[in-house]
Amino acid sequence: MASAGSGDEKAATVTLISSDNEHFEVPEAVATLSQTIRHMIEDGCTDGGVPLPNVTGRILAKVLEYCNKHAAASDKDELEKFDKAFVDIDDQATLFDLVMAANYLDIRGMLDLTCQTIADMIKGKSVEEIRETFNIKNDFTPEEEAEIRRENQWAFDD
Amino acid sequence: MEEGRQEQEEAEEVEGRPCGEGGDHFDRLHDAVLLDVLNRIGDVKALGRCALVSRRFHALVPLVDSVFVRVDCVIPDDPPPSASAGPGSPQQHHHQAPAAAPVARGRGALAHFARVLLGGIARPIHALGQILSPAAAAVSRRAEPQPASPPAPAADVSHHSPSEVLRSFKELRRLHIELPTGELGIDDGVLLKWKADFGSTLGSCVILGASSVSSKTTSPSAQPEPAADDSTAASPDSNRETEDLGSLPESLYTNGGLKLRVVWTISSLIAASARHYLLQPIISNHATLESLNLTDADGQGVLTMDKRQLQELRVRPVSASASSHRTLMPALSMRLHYAPLIELPGGTQLKGATLVAIRPSEDALREGQGVGAAGSVGTCWISEAFEEPYRTAAKVLLKRSPYCLEMNSF
Repeated sequence: MASAGSGDEKAATVTLISSDNEHFEVPEAVATLSQTIRHMIEDGCTDGGVPLPNVTGRILAKVLEYCNKHAAASDKDELEKFDKAFVDIDDQATLFDLVMAANYLDIRGMLDLTCQTIADMIKGKSVEEIRETFNIKNDFTPEEEAEIRRENQWAFDD
Repeated sequence: MEEGRQEQEEAEEVEGRPCGEGGDHFDRLHDAVLLDVLNRIGDVKALGRCALVSRRFHALVPLVDSVFVRVDCVIPDDPPPSASAGPGSPQQHHHQAPAAAPVARGRGALAHFARVLLGGIARPIHALGQILSPAAAAVSRRAEPQPASPPAPAADVSHHSPSEVLRSFKELRRLHIELPTGELGIDDGVLLKWKADFGSTLGSCVILGASSVSSKTTSPSAQPEPAADDSTAASPDSNRETEDLGSLPESLYTNGGLKLRVVWTISSLIAASARHYLLQPIISNHATLESLNLTDADGQGVLTMDKRQLQELRVRPVSASASSHRTLMPALSMRLHYAPLIELPGGTQLKGATLVAIRPSEDALREGQGVGAAGSVGTCWISEAFEEPYRTAAKVLLKRSPYCLEMNSF
């Protein structure tokens, strides 16, 4: 049961329930890195836990890893190192899961981090490489594509 | 683009489209999130390529609000620069002062320097104008029959103006353009940096210069030198000066040091006003713009415009200076601070370090500072103009009593 923070040193906690019914008991100070959860706590509707139907247990665990670290540490360099390692993921699906979770839970820092990571993966790649990396289907007709390429000629000069 | 907007609105309700057969993960992201990703790409060329990736990307790229344009090259000018614009350069439809008058109508010495300068640096500035000229040509199309060069961007396909490149971005809010080099050719070892902000005309400008920059090569046993300048240190500018009060040493007047610094000042202002002038078409084409930065890869000059200033420019168009392609400078109030030697964090030494803080005379008067006042009221804009290690230099220099100059509009 979540209690309103009253300066009680034994910090209040909140229970988060993933889509696959995993329960995570989390200090409020950590959980409130998520604006979504923070609003729910403020509105007092966290009794019995907060169901998060859009987030699996596996991803929620990673999210909490991020929140724990950022709620605790204050050293910029340390956080930077952590962030770098956090997004060093081979599995694209996980990266996108994290983006969606950060968006759904409204965790600004994590959203910035994960979106920037994807943006960095796009920068510097050619059109074909982008499609290939992310398995994006080219849904233009050849004429459309030629026209757009002509309009954006300046992007292809080198 | 319609689709994109609708989907953005529905983003909150829809959980994102189901994952495609092979796993196009972007399908799982709402348009708003994908747009967030695109907004972090920055580089306009990368964005141009993104527009070709798929229909969805193509619809979203024009909504990107933050763009960085790296200008690759500056096309050398063909016609020799002259007071009256050559056949290739577009005429502006703004009123022009009589071409016969010298551009700087200041007091004798300053006017002379300005004339000397225009010869020396006008070429780079016209070159700058050239890369943006297809845009300027677009402006002049309204004012007069076509310029001598063909109206379409030159057959040389690898040159595109920032205006052209930005054309499809309709929601642009933050724009950063980087030129390949600074406009001012300076000798090796000389430091010259400027930062200026503009509305319709100059808002303020800070210039930091040094006649020589060197790394400290003395013994590794670092004596605890004070970070502040050592006024008793020997320096080329002040042979045996003990000018601890910070007023300009006598030698600076006689050895050409003051003249040099005035030249630095005028060149920097000309470079800044030329950049500002060239931004007009971009600003008028992007009404949503809230922040504009024009820098160069050498780190020489930074021009900024914030939301209020951009708005001011839209309401009060720029006045051109005589027949040169740069914004008219109003009458200016300047404070020049000098120190013979400053050591920066990191060991670099600046000799003949100079800080010039410039504002329109009108503004200085309005704030009750007058010409000679050297109050510390509101000096953040000066001390924070540059990043470290130059920020320290500026703060040190600010403590010195300034030499005050007034300059006529030019």
